Amino acid sequence: MDDLTGMIFDIQSYSVHDGPGCRTNVFFVGCPLRCRWCANPESWGRKKHLMFSERSCKWDQGCRACENACPAGSIKFDEAGKPSLNWVICNECETIECSKSCAANSLKQCVRFLTVEDLIHILLRDFANWGSDGGVTFSGGEPLLQHEYLLEVLKRCHELQMHTAIETCGFAKQEIFLSIMRYINFAFIDVKNMDDEKHRWGTGVSNEPILSNISSLAQSRWEGRLVLRQPTIHGYNDSTENALKVIDFMNENNLYEINLLKFHRMGGTKWEQLGTPYEYADHGDMTDERMKELQELYLQNDIACYIGEDTPF
Amino acid sequence: MENESRVQEILKRRGLDVTPVDNFTEADVPEPTERFTKLINIYYLMKNTVDMEIPYWYNRFWWENEGDVPVIRRAKAYGAALSRHTPTIWPGEKLVMNKTKNWRGAFPFPWVDASFFNAAAEALMNEVDAPPEAAADAVSIVGAGGGNVTQSYGNVVSIAKKFGMRKEEIPCLVKVSKYWDNGSVESVSDRYSKLVPEFKKWKAYRDSVLIMFDSWAIPQGREVINYYMPLQYGFDRIIELCDEKIAETLGEAGDDGILGMSRGYYYTAMKETAKGMSHWAENYAKRAAYLAGLESDPIQKKEYEEIADVMHNVAHKKPASFREALQMTFLCHLGVVNEDPQSGQSIGRLGQVLQPFYAKDLADGTTTEEEVIELLELYRLKITSIECFASSGVTGGVLSGNTFNNLSMGGLNYDGLTAVTPLEYLIVEAGMRARTPQPTLSVLYDEKTPEDFLMKCARCCKLGMGYPAWMNNQGGMNYMLRQYHDEGMNIYDARAWCLGGCLESSPGCFQPLEYNGRVWMIPGGAAPTAGTGIHFTGLPKLLELVLTNGVDKRTGIKVFEPHNKKLETFEEVWEVWMSWMRELLEVSNKINNIQMDVWRKINPPVVQSLLKADCFKKGQHIGDCGARYNGSINFESCGTINFINSMASLKKNVYDDKKYTIEEMTDALMDNFGFKTAFETGVFSPDRREATENASKYEQIFYDCVNAPKYGNADPYADSILKDYEDRMLPEMLRLRSYYGKQYYMCQISVSTHGPQGAITLATSDGRLAGTTYADGSMSPAPTTDKNGIYAVFESATCYDHAMCQNSQMNVKIHPTAVKGINGTKKLLDVIRAYMRKGGFHVQFNITSSQTLRTAQQKPDDYRDLMVRVAGFTQYWCEIGKPIQDEVIYRTEYDA
Repeated sequence: MDDLTGMIFDIQSYSVHDGPGCRTNVFFVGCPLRCRWCANPESWGRKKHLMFSERSCKWDQGCRACENACPAGSIKFDEAGKPSLNWVICNECETIECSKSCAANSLKQCVRFLTVEDLIHILLRDFANWGSDGGVTFSGGEPLLQHEYLLEVLKRCHELQMHTAIETCGFAKQEIFLSIMRYINFAFIDVKNMDDEKHRWGTGVSNEPILSNISSLAQSRWEGRLVLRQPTIHGYNDSTENALKVIDFMNENNLYEINLLKFHRMGGTKWEQLGTPYEYADHGDMTDERMKELQELYLQNDIACYIGEDTPF
Repeated sequence: MENESRVQEILKRRGLDVTPVDNFTEADVPEPTERFTKLINIYYLMKNTVDMEIPYWYNRFWWENEGDVPVIRRAKAYGAALSRHTPTIWPGEKLVMNKTKNWRGAFPFPWVDASFFNAAAEALMNEVDAPPEAAADAVSIVGAGGGNVTQSYGNVVSIAKKFGMRKEEIPCLVKVSKYWDNGSVESVSDRYSKLVPEFKKWKAYRDSVLIMFDSWAIPQGREVINYYMPLQYGFDRIIELCDEKIAETLGEAGDDGILGMSRGYYYTAMKETAKGMSHWAENYAKRAAYLAGLESDPIQKKEYEEIADVMHNVAHKKPASFREALQMTFLCHLGVVNEDPQSGQSIGRLGQVLQPFYAKDLADGTTTEEEVIELLELYRLKITSIECFASSGVTGGVLSGNTFNNLSMGGLNYDGLTAVTPLEYLIVEAGMRARTPQPTLSVLYDEKTPEDFLMKCARCCKLGMGYPAWMNNQGGMNYMLRQYHDEGMNIYDARAWCLGGCLESSPGCFQPLEYNGRVWMIPGGAAPTAGTGIHFTGLPKLLELVLTNGVDKRTGIKVFEPHNKKLETFEEVWEVWMSWMRELLEVSNKINNIQMDVWRKINPPVVQSLLKADCFKKGQHIGDCGARYNGSINFESCGTINFINSMASLKKNVYDDKKYTIEEMTDALMDNFGFKTAFETGVFSPDRREATENASKYEQIFYDCVNAPKYGNADPYADSILKDYEDRMLPEMLRLRSYYGKQYYMCQISVSTHGPQGAITLATSDGRLAGTTYADGSMSPAPTTDKNGIYAVFESATCYDHAMCQNSQMNVKIHPTAVKGINGTKKLLDVIRAYMRKGGFHVQFNITSSQTLRTAQQKPDDYRDLMVRVAGFTQYWCEIGKPIQDEVIYRTEYDA
């Protein structure tokens, strides 16, 4: 299994909102879903790609170091001297030479290729830092997309008795899903919409495999802790009707924890750069009142509902 | 979190137990007492002052006793000054005494340093005659910058851009200073220093600012006070003991032909010192009684009467209550700091020293926890009000206006068990309620420290004041055994160590206090200053000089003889750097030895010589090795990480990859990679780059320098250079001999010198631009170069054994949301514990968002009480200089 290589977008240490204790969060590249509101559309593809952080760009201080760095001519400067990228070109780019020109790291190649032992080496370094209840969280993108690699990593984590958590959309073949979950101690699984049609509309895939995976996990002898998650978007899945369906589903499966994440529009500019109009540019916002109403609904139905980063660990 | 209890109920019913406590959120921190609030609101309005009362009386008695034995002459002069200066008590105070008659008062010490005033005498006298400015203008100028008096106004003359002196005192300042023109520690040591053949070299180091500061500038401090003598005996009994000792030793040499006779003079001097301290306290008793007589408000009248009782007892007897004991320690603290210019006079493990008194009062029912917390709040304000007057370079450049009176907690007791006392919980509580920069708190982290105490300290950290800092107790003990083992350091004394100054590990010992019918082993300081020696040396600056063949390009000064080497290998760079470092150490050691030897001979410290363990037993003052441990003199470095990163870049770009020649690299550095310098742009933070027409020429080399391996990423390429550096430096330290005849050690804290020393350093091969502030401390990564998170930083930092040195320093900035709630407190503690278990010596936190700091930089008046952690201490944001502000803002923020 030595030649198995994972494509890792980023590794964050001292991550404190993605599972119990202090954690190291490993972000996998690639996603089978195509959510219309996605904040990281550039990470859909399973390949290395460019990240452009405008905030750290030094154009306002006269820097033009990247001017001739792109052989395909993606980088253009406006009259004020501010660079912009043509994401249609950048998305197809295999070489990402431009990142070598940028001392500010605003242009950055994001994907690293790590073998199982490379990743375990990093986790072992962090192991002593986690404290008694921390561990590693696999996130993404979608970690299940690289399940062969992930499984080998998880087996090593299990041998080392590292606490493992996953953040997943749950969209995978059931046997794969369950084989992974065997080694997971804590899971956040997304339930974006209970209505299959709406789910297909919003994410590009059916919710049937997801719900079925959750049910089979809930009914197995799995001893981990499962918290459902819902990115809550106005006009898409914030209806009382949808919430009641989630509640029914949870009751059927004896699940009692859900985490609602208020929609945010962080990905807007990236969509525009990709040349695709961003559907959620001007709608989808949730009010705090509606979030609280939804929480109330869950609580009345004996389901612990957490908003944002309030999940207790 | 809203609906918290309902969520809890559901989870409980469903059988999921997710939190170790009943609720997710933490209880609010109570407000400070009304008494504290009232007083601190007055403090916020107070300006820094200097006045001449103490120097006047000191001088008068110094003159009167011309020809006396130095230690006795000194004790008489200082005792007289303490006995005679005006006691001031403010309504509402319970704990009393100040450095001077003013609240934020300081005064010059011309016996140490007079040239500063003498050089300015004419200008100062001119100011006396100048017409006062319009009051409105005056107020608007002084309003900015908290208590700093940055410019003269009205009848106030600004001195060192920080203090205000009343015009009518200027002639006294000028006259008193004039006397010391040839006799101050500064001028006497200067005379002898000039006789050292290498003096010119020293001067070049100083003029190029490769080294900052002279040892005489702050000859005391970075040490731990020992309160044992007055707590055990009281001043009346100490005076009797002196008489007994005088009778026993005066005229007797014993077996010691050199110092034997000094004992009689020592005890004579100690008697004068104790009398002065006692008299000073008695003056406060009298003042309080007088105020009580005038007071019509019965409550305030009673408070004055209580103060009169306490101060009278403190003047004569050993303390009989917690309040008296606390007042006694504060009297000693002021007595020490008023003797010489100093910073870093540490309180030590106060919660362990005073626990016997607290325990008795609580058991007797004569006090309550809340009453003790109130006293501790007032104590915080008292310590915060201690100002130090040194030259403006020292005050602003090193201290950022803080005097670093550090209070340590935790560690181990005499029996090797946790030393945490119930009183220490209250000290933390007072630190949370009454938020003041001083005393800064330090936790001596040991695996035996109770978890709830650690949690309380972590909670305190989250409030954003920067304290407590966390130190490794076992690391500190190991260092003690390593450094002082030839002087007889054993496991018991090693357990008594704590922080002198902000981060200077300092030896201590336990002594048997008899109180309340039993013996308590209380810790206290047992060594002289742990921080006079070779002062802040800019390591990147030394590397710059290697590349420029010894010439400082900024000033044109030839700092070293040209090495004329081609620097063909990386090892050759190391060799030249180390040989110059060796030269710098040897030359600087001679000069500093002379400075400190002159200090101890003509200006022997008398209060510390009474208090420090073993002085009274041996009958020798601090200068004559009276203290138990004397190998306390250090080498201070600055810019460690920029130096390591620069070496890593040279190794990578010039020697391993051979992408550039050393000449090409040097050329790029001289030209600042084609950018404007920090002085041209006015921004000292590394994120500001303004191109010149040359920028395009250096784009590639700049990119390669910025992206060369960096410390803080668990990358052995860079980290091995750090380990190599530490390993190369240790034997140099062991070879040097201080004026006490003992080996040196490394002190790796920057305090605030990473600002000024960054300012004089050209661009460095790690991609740092000319003039920008160095990375602070010795373990903090250069801003934004740590790309792999905090655990990788810890891995890099612990690539060598921290117990080899006095200290290391790590600053971490965390966004408040990453440590929210009680779970967040636990997670913060997890981070601290992780670093401590890896052997990290010190870590401290700024838990304030960069956004808040940026806003506060724009609108200082709206953030009068905002505090930040700088390099080993906490200070009001509005009272620190801009280069340091920029650096703090730019530090990498971990927001999880």
